[in-house]
Amino acid sequence: MIRFENVGLRYGMGPEVLRDINFHLLPGSFHFLTGPSGAGKTTLLRLLFMALRPSRGLTYLFGQNPTDQTTGERAELRRRIGVVFQDFRLLDHLTTWQNVALPLRVTGRDEADYKDDVTELLKWVGLGDRMHAFPAILSGGEKQRAAIARAVIGKPELLLADEPTGNVDPQMANRLLRLFVELNKLGTSIVIATHDQLLMEQFKKPQLVLHDGHLTIRG
Amino acid sequence: MSVIETVRASWVMGALRSVTPRSLVRAHNAIVPHDSVSGRSLTVVIAIMCFLACLTAGAVHLVSQSANAWTQDLASEITVQINPARDVDMEKQVTLIALFLAKQPGVTRVSPLSVDQSARLLEPWLGQNSEIASLPVPRLIAIEIDRAALPDLEGLRVALEETFSMAKLDDHRRWQAEIRTVTRSLALGGITVLVLVAAATIATIISATRSAMASNREIIEVLHLVGAKDQFIASEFERHFLVVGIRAGLMGAGAAALVFTLLPLVLHLLGQGGLAAAEFKRLLGDAILDPLGYFVLFLVVVVVAALSMLTSRYGVYAILKTYS
Ligand SMILES: Nc1ncnc2c1ncn2[C@@H]1O[C@H](COP(=O)(O)OP(=O)(O)OP(=O)(O)O)[C@@H](O)[C@H]1O
Ligand SMILES: [Mg+2]
Repeated sequence: MIRFENVGLRYGMGPEVLRDINFHLLPGSFHFLTGPSGAGKTTLLRLLFMALRPSRGLTYLFGQNPTDQTTGERAELRRRIGVVFQDFRLLDHLTTWQNVALPLRVTGRDEADYKDDVTELLKWVGLGDRMHAFPAILSGGEKQRAAIARAVIGKPELLLADEPTGNVDPQMANRLLRLFVELNKLGTSIVIATHDQLLMEQFKKPQLVLHDGHLTIRG
Repeated sequence: MSVIETVRASWVMGALRSVTPRSLVRAHNAIVPHDSVSGRSLTVVIAIMCFLACLTAGAVHLVSQSANAWTQDLASEITVQINPARDVDMEKQVTLIALFLAKQPGVTRVSPLSVDQSARLLEPWLGQNSEIASLPVPRLIAIEIDRAALPDLEGLRVALEETFSMAKLDDHRRWQAEIRTVTRSLALGGITVLVLVAAATIATIISATRSAMASNREIIEVLHLVGAKDQFIASEFERHFLVVGIRAGLMGAGAAALVFTLLPLVLHLLGQGGLAAAEFKRLLGDAILDPLGYFVLFLVVVVVAALSMLTSRYGVYAILKTYS
């Protein structure tokens, strides 16, 4: 489903942050992405959701090479991918509910179609009573859960999460991880970037380890 | 109501509802905040543009209406001018020519103007002056022609001018042509002004689109990342510009309509004045904008709103291209 061949990436004229990355993710797989801070986890995820183009090498998403595609086709590809950003990227002037509904709204679907789904998901992540609050007044953990809800609302085929449990207590972290596991069972491939050793031990899943710009697969 | 009427009515209502500002920018769920797009200055600038466009379009309409009325009147009338000559009894000549004309086919009425009437026509140029009667003033005979069976004007001219050497037939064709030239150049000038105003409006909208997109860069990025296409993003911006266009357009057209409503009054007050006012009045007729004229103002609003919407749409597309 996802294939990287000799991918290298540098920002501008800087050094290569990622070097010779080769890997292959199958549909329905579940991986942690780990490595020291600054190793390039976020950068690799950006390549995966097409916010960056590789400086060299080839990437294939759902069998297609994003660099060959029109912006419209890339938008279609992105709808099959859910992303939880390290810095959440919620829109401050929209309520939590509207933020979570955004991926469905941009497809042009009628609000009545997905209204209940959004509400139900928000309740599930424990934001049932914060639905109409604006992100500015949410706690870090609440924002994180809103960001997760926005990433999964479209039932994506691929879910990318950047430190999705960085701001919540271990109990909530566990609960959120179980949401990802449930999604995975329904067929969504998952890649979670994390530092959290405890969590990785708890959920025994293969790990993509980034070090010095190189990627190795463990487990 | 028949089914078709019901459908049409609901379609019209739907279309209306979809362009009312409230539904376009329900503040609580607009993805692009309305205030980030439409500053007051943008609305004011577009309103002024629309005002100028409405004044121009309305004035051109007024002039062409009054010119039409003029040429119509002129077409159903011809004039015979009798130049004064020494040692000729002008009164007798006038009577003879009038009799001659009345016998011609296609002529429905012949009314010779008296010396006083002829003099009065010269009043605007010469002033009220008792001396006029003693001047050798050319005499005029107004002839109404049968518009259903137009006379052979060329034949009439030849016959007349052969019989009476001092008579000259004027079928006002030169006048009509001149009026047409004047109206045409006014219309051309008006169109030039309209094109310039449109260009200025487009330039304003483009720069407003650019700054709206710059201040909403973060939102655009997030929209892209959750899978929004360019069309969706463009429509989110364009609805704000449509609202600005409609609102500013109505303001500008409203102000212009007020000007046109007050214009007859202003002209009436000016009308007491001198020659310039009289000429102005002649150009504009009674200066009352007819319903068609108000419709022209309405059209200007539609064009301004559409221009505002379409320009922002293509602006967004063009700017999004530079992002990726
Ligand atoms: N936009 C950018 N421009 C230039 N350099 C960048 C940019 N983003 C990241 N980098 C650099 O690329 C390297 C990898 O950054 P990245 O954010 O991918 O690390 P990370 O593994 O996600 O770290 P963390 O665990 O702290 O989130 C870092 O050295 C960083 O300084
Ligand atoms: Mg990171």
